[in-house]
Amino acid sequence: MLEYLSFGLIIQLLVNGILFGTMYGIAAIGLSLIFGTMRIIFLAQGTTIIFLAYICYWLFTLFGVDPYLSLILVVPISLLLGAGFYHALFKEAAALEDKNISLLIAVGLMFLVENLMTVIWTANPRSILTTYTSLVFRPMGINIPFTRLIALLMAVLSASGVLLFLKKTLIGMAVRAASEDMVSATLVGISPHRVNAVAFAIGIGLAGIAGIGVATIYPFDPVYGFIFALKALISLALGGIGNVYGALLGGILLGLIESLASFFLSGGWSDAISYAVFLIVLMFRPEGLFVRAMLKT
Amino acid sequence: MENHLLEVKGLDVLYGDVQAVWDVSLHVDEGTIVALLGANGAGKTTLLKTISGIMHPKRGEILFWGKPLSKLKPQEVVDIGISHVPEGRRLFSKLTVLENLKLGAYPPRTRPLFAQSLERAYSLFPVLKARNDQKAGSLSGGEQQMLAIARAIMACPNLLMLDEPSLGLSPLFVKAIFELIYALNHQKVTVLLVEQNVHQALKIAHQAYVLKTGKIVMGGSGDELLADPEVQKAYIGERWSKR
Repeated sequence: MLEYLSFGLIIQLLVNGILFGTMYGIAAIGLSLIFGTMRIIFLAQGTTIIFLAYICYWLFTLFGVDPYLSLILVVPISLLLGAGFYHALFKEAAALEDKNISLLIAVGLMFLVENLMTVIWTANPRSILTTYTSLVFRPMGINIPFTRLIALLMAVLSASGVLLFLKKTLIGMAVRAASEDMVSATLVGISPHRVNAVAFAIGIGLAGIAGIGVATIYPFDPVYGFIFALKALISLALGGIGNVYGALLGGILLGLIESLASFFLSGGWSDAISYAVFLIVLMFRPEGLFVRAMLKT
Repeated sequence: MENHLLEVKGLDVLYGDVQAVWDVSLHVDEGTIVALLGANGAGKTTLLKTISGIMHPKRGEILFWGKPLSKLKPQEVVDIGISHVPEGRRLFSKLTVLENLKLGAYPPRTRPLFAQSLERAYSLFPVLKARNDQKAGSLSGGEQQMLAIARAIMACPNLLMLDEPSLGLSPLFVKAIFELIYALNHQKVTVLLVEQNVHQALKIAHQAYVLKTGKIVMGGSGDELLADPEVQKAYIGERWSKR
């Protein structure tokens, strides 16, 4: 196989990896935000992404709404959905010392949504076909599919938007403060419910963007969500929890690993390799790869 | 009745099955400094945590301006005018000094006063202004304690509760912190002070209580307790009593 290897091919693999990885990255940012204030891994994140991909699919097939135009509907829907998830499902459990309850709710939600999706949309893969689905740019002989490029752009823009929100707004600061020390946050007047709901809203808001990215790029089915959540979790472990850019970089790194592994070994190996990397990183750098040693304490 | 700003009546507080505070009653008058003394594990921190709503009492009442607050959550307690600087400061260390101060003025009541409060904090703690954009975690211990107090007064409290503000600080900073408490009190802030530095605390306190294994065993004016031979023996030690 190696005789086919050329510089152009390597570049292509790297580009594929980056384009793949950004979707994992924004899913991981959502996980990171929710983990920050709630101290749980929101395992239903991937399934929610797929659910929102189906919403995008429905808007497209039933009403002819262009997937990118549907952003203006899907993003507000997902922000509300996030806040709704918190208030309806997690509000009581979040106050408990034992975080396992919240984690179980997330798992329950994941299976519920997964099964609902199977009932509504069947287990057959769906995909969105538009005029630009197979559009590919070829700068310097490297293939860059249009939909993946847009997904990359959406990911970078939304990550920057979230970062700006966390830095510049008072409620964003409150989310960061609560992620660091919830008791201290309540002592300055921050309501845990408020910051938890905001973290959820933004986390699921990002899931909406990822959902549109997925819907325009891959065929998807209901069970794909769980795998997606695992990939986001690996990205989070690579990037370090509580670090927006780290999560995005972790996703891109995972995309690169998968892209290279599936070329040099085989598609089947790529998942095994990613889970192995997940474990190795957790064993040797549990704080993540992109967290400076200074922040360890 | 009198001008009790804070009144605690017959308070029992439990950690699970373990009772930490037994039938504690005390009061803090408006405009005073009240010191809460006692050995480690005497229940001082638990008492502050219960007043600020982090913990809830099993029995008893906490009245602030005559109104009960034992059912309130911490974020509600700070909004009605009680700020708690917890033990160990608990700053948001990854946030900047200014961000910590901004969050200090988070309660809705205090947001419109942000500019004035910031000016007051800077005039009391000029060193913080110079460190504005630094991460709180990068400050020295003394500076962190100043920031913790500054963050608390951003909420314009009527009652400021300080838990061991001088713990682990160099003598120079200890002196500075006590001077600040004194200065704040002159700005009409009532102070409830938990301190291990008994001598210093009693010197500035109008009123003081001694807690022992969760019970109040002594109470009186700062000078009375300072002169009390038992207090001297138990908490101040030979070094001070000879002076």
